[in-house]
Amino acid sequence: MVLLQPDPFLNELTSMFERSTEKGSVWVTLKRSSMKCKATRKKMETAGETIEYRCLVRATDGKKTISTSVKRTFQGSDLMWQEGEKKKRGCGRVLTQLSARDYQKFQASYATVLKAHMNALKKRERKDKKKTAEPEKKQASSKKSEPFKKPAPPASKASQ
Amino acid sequence: MVYIVSWDEFVERSVQLFRADPHSSRYATKYRRCDGKLVLKVTDNRECLKFRTDQAQDVRKMEKLNNIFFTLMIRGPDADISEASGKEQAEQPASKKGRGRRQ
Repeated sequence: MVLLQPDPFLNELTSMFERSTEKGSVWVTLKRSSMKCKATRKKMETAGETIEYRCLVRATDGKKTISTSVKRTFQGSDLMWQEGEKKKRGCGRVLTQLSARDYQKFQASYATVLKAHMNALKKRERKDKKKTAEPEKKQASSKKSEPFKKPAPPASKASQ
Repeated sequence: MVYIVSWDEFVERSVQLFRADPHSSRYATKYRRCDGKLVLKVTDNRECLKFRTDQAQDVRKMEKLNNIFFTLMIRGPDADISEASGKEQAEQPASKKGRGRRQ
């Protein structure tokens, strides 16, 4: 699994949607995470430190998995820690951290990506109901106009 | 796995489920363009709530739910989610005032 910066994550998510137009699915999962292991969290709780939670966003098309992490405040030191972890584990992981304002930007960009690609669903059926209602209204209006026409012919016959 | 028919019930129960256990709860979305189907799942690894649809109008509802979950996950489970829906409610009466006729 590859953890990315929010913008590359959104670009990769867009390409996932484009690749799965004819077949396949795209899964996107949101989860609240502190990005720390259970032991570290327990130590922090006993020490009385506040644990900072982030929103982990993962996306997959069944073959490839990407992820990004959206946080409330930005701390440069955390990035350094994560790069150290990357070297130790040897896996391709990069972490992303956004401020509270940036999470709203991410939210807006993410919504734009979804709107652009989730367009293969059925549209509302109200339009069909309106179409069936209109000819019924036309028939009702034509029936009302007929009685007005009927009294005219007997008047013309009486004059003759 | 439970498929919920009512959207409002799905939203209410999923928010309750998340607030009860914010650490293990997750919100998943699955989209299949070839079948034209969207499935939403909220689970805490014990209980699972699902909502499936093939209607385009549900994409907008899903976006609102996305906003709700982002707010809950980042600001905390006790965050006020009415802000996410409150902004839209504030916008609606403003637009109605604009459309009204002046006499």
